[in-house]
Amino acid sequence: MVTDYGDLQPGQEISRHSYQVDEGLVADYVAAVQDENPPLRDSDGVQLVPAMAVAALSIRGVVQDLRIPGGTLHAGQEFEFMSAVAVGSSLDCAATLVQNSVRGNWRFLVIDCHVTDDNAADVMSGKSTIMIPAGLGPRETK
Amino acid sequence: MKKGDSLPQVYRVVDQARIEDYAHASGDFNPIHIDLEFASQSQFGGTIAHGMMVAATISEIMTGAFGSNWAKTGKMKIRFRSPVKPGQTVTATGSVQRVSPDGESSRIVCAVSVTTDIGEVAISGQAEVTVPA
Repeated sequence: MVTDYGDLQPGQEISRHSYQVDEGLVADYVAAVQDENPPLRDSDGVQLVPAMAVAALSIRGVVQDLRIPGGTLHAGQEFEFMSAVAVGSSLDCAATLVQNSVRGNWRFLVIDCHVTDDNAADVMSGKSTIMIPAGLGPRETK
Repeated sequence: MKKGDSLPQVYRVVDQARIEDYAHASGDFNPIHIDLEFASQSQFGGTIAHGMMVAATISEIMTGAFGSNWAKTGKMKIRFRSPVKPGQTVTATGSVQRVSPDGESSRIVCAVSVTTDIGEVAISGQAEVTVPA
């Protein structure tokens, strides 16, 4: 468990979680973002997960495992989607630290996120840049 | 699609209830989004929407324009430039910058952005997708 962000090293895996992307998870996501597109379906009629729901999952574990403190800001984001995900799939989301630096009053963490499906096929890769107030450490957990 | 074409826009009112819904859906309970007292002491003077929640409007216009091709081949690079606060309306826009044919498909590169109703650019960047020619 991280206690000081200064200890995190580039190359270090900081999070790995598996998620079952069921109908409820997708419905909650779509309702929250108010996406008005009709559900996407593949050629067999199977409903697909919205791409950004996969992206949101890819950083869920990072937020939880780093116990990101209040005041943290999301500065930038990159995504590349490699294949669509069917509702009901299991996804493995791994995150690796790429860069850890302090500039002024902020600590910048650059994190690579990689998502694979049940068959270990690549689904998505991404890079998140977050800014943490330099003096803050991980928040306390209840 | 050709260079200069605009993608259908998406308008969205951001309110605190939706922000809290997004916190539950995403698992991101950063108090800057959901704790009114904490957020009132921040540099923003109140809560702000999750960047990824606002960025979802860009994915929505790309999905609307390109369907499942976006989920299969999409790529996006964005910067979060200013916060979106509850009560604001955001508009996601996109325009085709480049179309590069490649055999039986084309790679389409779009400039994308999200602006608020007070004229601030909340997000800017680029999104690209491969579609059958």
